[in-house]
Amino acid sequence: MLSLLLAAAAVTALIAGIAGAWSPCGFSMVDTIGTALGDVRRTVMIVAAASFTIGALAGGAVTFGGLSLLGRLLGHGATELRDAVAGALALAAAFADWRGWKIAPQIRRQVPERWRWIMPLPLACVLYGLLLGLGFTTFVLSFAVWALAGISFAADSAVLGVVVGVAFGLGRALPVLWIAPRLGTERGDRCLDRLALEPRLWLGMRRLDAIGLAACAAVLGSSSALAAGTVFATDPSADSADYAWQQVGGPGMLQTATATLSLPGRLPAVGGANVAWLSGHQIVISHGFPSPSPRTIPGPPHATVDALAVSADWLVVRDQSASGIANLFAVSLRDPARRRYLAGAGIPGAIGRPSLERSTVVYAYSSSAGSAIYEVDLGSGARSVLRGTTADVLYANPTLRNGRLLYERSDRCAQQLLLGSPTRLGVDRVLLRLPSTVFRDSGYQNGYTHAYNGASVCPNRMSGAGSTTTLGATALGESVAYVSESPLDPARTRIVRVRLG
Amino acid sequence: MRGKRGSQLSPERPLSDAVVRHSSRRGFLERLGGAVIGLAGATAVASAVLPDEADAYTNFCGHTYTTGNCPAPTGLPRIDRQGYPLRAHDGVPVDDLGRPINGQGQPIDAHGQVLKDADGVPLAPAPRTKTCETTGEDYGITLTLEGSWYRCCGGTVRRIRDCCGATNLRVNGDAALVGYCYPGHHVFCVTYFETAIPC
Repeated sequence: MLSLLLAAAAVTALIAGIAGAWSPCGFSMVDTIGTALGDVRRTVMIVAAASFTIGALAGGAVTFGGLSLLGRLLGHGATELRDAVAGALALAAAFADWRGWKIAPQIRRQVPERWRWIMPLPLACVLYGLLLGLGFTTFVLSFAVWALAGISFAADSAVLGVVVGVAFGLGRALPVLWIAPRLGTERGDRCLDRLALEPRLWLGMRRLDAIGLAACAAVLGSSSALAAGTVFATDPSADSADYAWQQVGGPGMLQTATATLSLPGRLPAVGGANVAWLSGHQIVISHGFPSPSPRTIPGPPHATVDALAVSADWLVVRDQSASGIANLFAVSLRDPARRRYLAGAGIPGAIGRPSLERSTVVYAYSSSAGSAIYEVDLGSGARSVLRGTTADVLYANPTLRNGRLLYERSDRCAQQLLLGSPTRLGVDRVLLRLPSTVFRDSGYQNGYTHAYNGASVCPNRMSGAGSTTTLGATALGESVAYVSESPLDPARTRIVRVRLG
Repeated sequence: MRGKRGSQLSPERPLSDAVVRHSSRRGFLERLGGAVIGLAGATAVASAVLPDEADAYTNFCGHTYTTGNCPAPTGLPRIDRQGYPLRAHDGVPVDDLGRPINGQGQPIDAHGQVLKDADGVPLAPAPRTKTCETTGEDYGITLTLEGSWYRCCGGTVRRIRDCCGATNLRVNGDAALVGYCYPGHHVFCVTYFETAIPC
């Protein structure tokens, strides 16, 4: 979704930047750099044009990248709402640009003319470029600029913001780079005249912008609609093209590149182009869905399957017996008689939900004695601890994908969703951070002095009740992380998306 | 660090402790009572029979001087008799995350029911470790519970337990006191245990 939005927004930004050529500043820049034309001053002109371009690119990146950063700083919350608002904004701007409505709100300011006289031309041009690239310091020539600001803010992706900004800056520079070197020639002057005398060209640019914005709105709309469809859901699972989840109290769901489908079973998992789900006591593995001949593997006879993971060659199953004994084991899809026992526990919940990539499975195992994320090579049986502790911390819900490990780390103060390397410690990125769920006292008794209890407080939260949200099952897509968030009532669990940016 | 044993350690006591001790009503009463009873040469008994006053304690009832709490899952460093963390206001066992737990270490709700996820699977248990020892691991030193002092708090005898180690610094970041630690050790932080004895 993000890559589609990125492409549509970047093209729109490029065109919005070009449309800026019809502003007073746009014309002034052509003339400022173009007057340097001449055999003697050609070098100065080239340097000035290059300076202007650098400034414009930097300005665009600062504005739109900054907006996206601001969006990220405000947190991931209400992603669907933000997508919907940004989509609506894009649609409204598309309509207005298509109709050629007068720009509002308008910024009726221009770049300082005196810079042209008091500064060396390259320096003035880099500053001019910076101001024009910033987008909102001078006249705005299309509603698309406002809409792109909203999209950058809502997208929760620094990459998108910077790409949009660079495209916008490039768009602002292109007309100058095209016309300025030719100014003074018949062709160059005619080009400038056409620019000045043909407002329809400007309208044409705005209509192209409208098309681009409509594409952005479509992507954002489908994104928020998809998210809306996953309300009260858990157990996300992602493959290169497919995304599956479990509707709370309902069937498993599968989102492919073309459709959203209801699966005839529960606990869906995708991986290696396979889809697996639980149907009664049978585990069904389908190469794509629907498939004319899905495979079935009987579930354990005296236990209930409560989690699945699948890849092209392996199926991993977690089950729990009536007495509470939990097991985790893998079944080879090439030879179902070949199985590998992974873990067992006498305490339900001790073995976490597994994740599988090719023949490598990761899962968390936690007890009162410690918490760890294990990685097992199903081919060789080699086992390693990716993250582990004997105190203070709970590790949970790991997902492995393309050499990246997504997992949760909780302590007495916070719950964190982290992304990092499976093997390199200490460089994990915090994608999401919530306060801990526990009730914490103030660290001192009422009526007593409390100047010396700094070590007993959490810097990120106050005393009293904690967060009502608990992080749960995760999945990792190409550009987005999925994590389920459970409120006090787990039946209202939702899956939220966190863009990796 | 506390009572009379604390008074034997004045060379090591930080200025803040000295201020607390000499400026509070407890300090005054203790000196006054100590002088009276000391006439009989029983100053050690004096501090034991002197009435406790809440405003002389720091952080929680029974704790004198300024050594900070050991970092505990729910804030106040209440522990059980083995040193594992309890929720201060009701004594419910908690794990290292501060979640109330049952006998198997599974997190439970206010009604004692095991917490479950949206699939109905119980939430994972978390490590549960001794507050003092884990503080030591967190700070890179070896700490253990050593000496104690008892005071009447809220109608129950409370045991104030020093978490001690071979360190000259305490959790506050300044110089540590000897308190009730064994020879060569200093108090890094403090915990407490509620006995079942009324007072």
